[in-house]
Amino acid sequence: MRYILRKFGLLLLTLWAAVTLNYALPRLMPGSPADAAVAKLSQNGPVAPSTRAAIEAQLGVPTGSWWHQYTQYLDNVVHLRFGVSYTFFPQSVSSMVGQALPWTLVMVGLVTVLAFVVGSLIGVAAAWRRGTWLDSLPTLSGAFLAAFPYFWTALLLVFFVGYVFGWFPTSGAYSADAVPNLSFGFVGDSLYHAVLPALTILITSLGGWILGMRNTMIGTIGEDYVTFAEANGLRGRTVALRYAARNALLPNLTGFGMALGGVVGGSLLVEQVFNYPGVGHLLYSAVTNHDYPLMQALFLMITVCVLVANFIVDVLYGVLDPRTRR
Amino acid sequence: MSLLDVKNLSVVYEPRGAEPTMAVKDASFRIEEGEFVGLVGESGSGKSTLGFALTRLAKPPARIAGGRILFDGTDVAALDSEQLRRQRHGGFAMVLQSGMNALNPVRTVGHHFADIFAAHGHVPRQRRRSRAVELLEKVELTGAVLDRYPGELSGGMRQRVSIALALSLEPRLMVFDEPTTALDVMVQHAVMRTIRELQEREGFTAVLISHDLGVVLESTARVMVMKDGVIVEDAPSREIFERPQHAYTRTLLGHYADPRAEVVELPGLPADGRRTAPAGGGRGRAAAQAAIVVEDVSRVYPGRRRGDTPVAAVREVSFRLEPGQSMALVGQSGSGKSTLAKLITGVEQPSSGTISFGDLRVDRLRRRKLHKLHADVQMVFQDPYAALNPLHTVEYALTRPVVNFTGRSGADARRRVLELLEIVGLTPVEQFAARLPHELSGGQRQRVVIARALAADPQVLIADEPVSMLDVSLRAGVLALLRDLREDFGVSLLYITHDLLSARMVTDRIMVLHEGRVVESGPTAQVLRFPEHDYTTRLLDSLPQPARRFAAAGSDGDAA
Amino acid sequence: MTSLPANPPSPTVPAAPVRTGALRALQVFGRSFGTVWSNGKARVGLVILAVFVLVAIFAPVLAPYSPHANDFTPDAGGSSAHLLGTTGAGEDVLSQLLYGARVSIVVGFVAGGLSTLVAVAVGLSWGYLRNWLGEVVNFVVNLFLVVPGLPLMIIIAAYLQNGGLPVIVLVVVITGWAWGARVLRAQTQSLRSRDFVTAALFSGESASRVVFREILPNMTSMIAGSFFGAATAAVLAESGLSFLGLGDPFTVSWGSMLYWAQNSNALLTGQWVLLFAPGLCVALLATAMTLVNFGVDGLSNPRLREGNGR
Repeated sequence: MRYILRKFGLLLLTLWAAVTLNYALPRLMPGSPADAAVAKLSQNGPVAPSTRAAIEAQLGVPTGSWWHQYTQYLDNVVHLRFGVSYTFFPQSVSSMVGQALPWTLVMVGLVTVLAFVVGSLIGVAAAWRRGTWLDSLPTLSGAFLAAFPYFWTALLLVFFVGYVFGWFPTSGAYSADAVPNLSFGFVGDSLYHAVLPALTILITSLGGWILGMRNTMIGTIGEDYVTFAEANGLRGRTVALRYAARNALLPNLTGFGMALGGVVGGSLLVEQVFNYPGVGHLLYSAVTNHDYPLMQALFLMITVCVLVANFIVDVLYGVLDPRTRR
Repeated sequence: MSLLDVKNLSVVYEPRGAEPTMAVKDASFRIEEGEFVGLVGESGSGKSTLGFALTRLAKPPARIAGGRILFDGTDVAALDSEQLRRQRHGGFAMVLQSGMNALNPVRTVGHHFADIFAAHGHVPRQRRRSRAVELLEKVELTGAVLDRYPGELSGGMRQRVSIALALSLEPRLMVFDEPTTALDVMVQHAVMRTIRELQEREGFTAVLISHDLGVVLESTARVMVMKDGVIVEDAPSREIFERPQHAYTRTLLGHYADPRAEVVELPGLPADGRRTAPAGGGRGRAAAQAAIVVEDVSRVYPGRRRGDTPVAAVREVSFRLEPGQSMALVGQSGSGKSTLAKLITGVEQPSSGTISFGDLRVDRLRRRKLHKLHADVQMVFQDPYAALNPLHTVEYALTRPVVNFTGRSGADARRRVLELLEIVGLTPVEQFAARLPHELSGGQRQRVVIARALAADPQVLIADEPVSMLDVSLRAGVLALLRDLREDFGVSLLYITHDLLSARMVTDRIMVLHEGRVVESGPTAQVLRFPEHDYTTRLLDSLPQPARRFAAAGSDGDAA
Repeated sequence: MTSLPANPPSPTVPAAPVRTGALRALQVFGRSFGTVWSNGKARVGLVILAVFVLVAIFAPVLAPYSPHANDFTPDAGGSSAHLLGTTGAGEDVLSQLLYGARVSIVVGFVAGGLSTLVAVAVGLSWGYLRNWLGEVVNFVVNLFLVVPGLPLMIIIAAYLQNGGLPVIVLVVVITGWAWGARVLRAQTQSLRSRDFVTAALFSGESASRVVFREILPNMTSMIAGSFFGAATAAVLAESGLSFLGLGDPFTVSWGSMLYWAQNSNALLTGQWVLLFAPGLCVALLATAMTLVNFGVDGLSNPRLREGNGR
């Protein structure tokens, strides 16, 4: 319990640090992102004073004390006031983020967890059958796949599976004529559209999990408790899963938390290739249009999601390792 | 028919990218039902490899290269993996070296039992818990440990749990591989007693693998001595003790003596401190001039986590180490003896009390002033494998203190380095100077460590368990070297150890430390022969004393 | 004690063989290289890596045309004049591919080197911090570890519009040092508690000598490992940023080739080589460095550093 409370405290502290980083970034940059943003926005018509204030609070103007700016900024973040997007004028930034986030959370989130589970299982098998083809095949192909840039895997799948064979749609999250709802037909349609982006993330992130699990499991197989379990005549599956793999899982879980940021980053590029309407795609539009308010809000949301995911991993670790309970 | 019949067994060790070595060469022996047999040898003798082969736990790079192991008439090597797994119940079981890591850290003790019962199905589900409690009681534990995780148990308790787990298989043959090595002397003693009593009561056949001939002679009816993969002697324990045939057995046996005896002698270490080697190169400075004075020193460590109670490692210790004196500091691990060494050498500061050396106040020394202290107070480390940087040659390791403390440099410094190597007996000196640590044996490394401590021309040497990591046959040489050095150079020696025998051999005075306090001190021979404090007596009693057993057993010999 | 002549030409005490400075470093390097080379996977990686480095150096010699020459027939397939065809803008694909190696190699080595430098500096000093300051560093490093790197890079690169390679290198270093720092700190902590480090203190060594002669050399494999790790990440990050058009799109790199290929709909025109080749190069280079790391792991075992025989 104390462990979980401590991790929760750490989460709050990290969240605060991430928000502050988000506050500091545009202010550290040369030029004035805020002025540029207001100028860009004024192309769409007169800028309301409240909108201007929100943008200035977020991106920084050289007026007012930094403390005043900072508290105002924190206030805005807590109330999810991120201003107006000028790429998608007059939509508010929060509504844009709100539309994009579910697509990414569901697709990237599920696939990442799936990849970790599948990769770890393959790693367990490879370590347990060390030296056989069951080991060398996944290890070598894992090392190769892990070196693929995410967007390149995406491009290859788009080209071969999408264009050449035409098995799956290569663009968007659902058919152009469909209206988002929770009907059976629409969910099926969006799953169909999610196949290629999901496959991309699965293929590219799998290698890392395979290698990680295999290497730690080879370590635990050499431990005395595994030898002793064998000496006591436990069944092979019990020894492999409850003794060797169960202990190898712990460091890999920590590794999973650490690597999440990288996987999410890679998935953003995947969304861009597939025109998938998630945060990655939106971030790309924001960046190319210099839509700074949208960009900052997206970065903040991505960071918060990764931090919360990390906290969940920490809690899971606490549940799995009795040593944290003391 | 013998329970175990081993014929011409050879085990080869084939590490990748290195020459294969024969770990066990052509071993043949039989073990009868109900016998308790010891297997003794030093590190690298192949005794553990043999143990693993007997229980078919040998894994690559070890491979059985020839011969047969018949267990109750069936060839063990012929069993397929499922047959092998099944026969672990009611067949052969093994207790591993240092039970510390033999239990799965994420499963409770109860789960460990349940896993075994489930694998063999020999205990019905509703009887499992009571059966586990029964087994735990046999090793003097209670059912309360069932719900504990291994991390919550002490080392001795964990080893007892491993024994109970092995017992739960109802084995006909139990192999104990160094079951007490990683444990403290007193715990060792208690666990060995449990093993002995169990074997008598349950009547299983047992093999006890150990590097400690004393422990084996105390427990077993028959001993096999192994050296370089060969069983060089196989005889009843009493014969081994009274009429050892092989020279190597005699060497091993020679290192057992009772520290309580009136005169204690070891091969290479005569009792009266006569020189064992011609005097080495002397030195300019005379004997030590200053005493180390420790007054009322305590060291308290904060609890490991917030909220834990602080741990007092050293409590109100006072003593003087006079110039040229040799004093032993003995106690179990956790008695505070190593902490005291850190305090005296200025590596750590005491929480209260004062330590002085001459006019230096050691307890107040800043890190930068340590240089001044270390010019006169040097340290010999416990683990010769850890005390030398693997990347530096012997010459580099010795040149640094010579340059830093004696002001010599260039050829002059080199001359001194070679001289030091000569003093510690590493000749030809030129060759040893050029070597890297991994090209040296353990004993040679420890000599380099001693030479490095001498390089500063110190007045005081602090030796922290200098021989505990070395094989028995190498210990005497290093101890003799320490004793000679003290005489030749007149340095004071603070000898920290858990080993009472070696303390008796190299020191004049002794202090017994228990839970951070000095419980007894005085002239070494007197304290060890006529201990006054209860703790000292218990410490002495826990030493393996084969002589005691055979003397007590009288003429009818081998009753264990 | 008698004083000795300044330089005694004593025949019994030959001067120590000078194994100092550059020569010794070279020896250590040679031995380490041999260890890495002896690992099959690492050997494959080293060969691939060497090929890419050579291509980068000799690109002007190897490339048939200038990578910027755009006066060829656009969107052409492979022919004897253009082995891999031409781009939508009429440039020679093979020439671009060869020149593109330069960017990846430079970014990989420079950004990898710089972030390793930061990692070593932070890791070493952090390993020596014990009080609350260590906790603060721990927090900062963890923050940089969990904050998703690529989005951060994208944001920074977006602010520093089209800054070209230096910006990419900077961004990769900012987001890439934390992992190495953490690994090296753990190693520093374990090394500094070793007896031989305490022994160096007893030998009267200064703090800097303890760090640079005792601790640092024992971390060679870790440092090499984090260098190749960081370099791999840098190569991948550069290609990703360039692919998004956040580098300088007019610098010829594998990432920018993909950017233009995507923008000119190379898929629709059937120019699959244009998509396939640059990505394959990135993947091969990154794989090569991962493979080298398999061998670098062997370095940490001192038994493998066999001297000149006994």
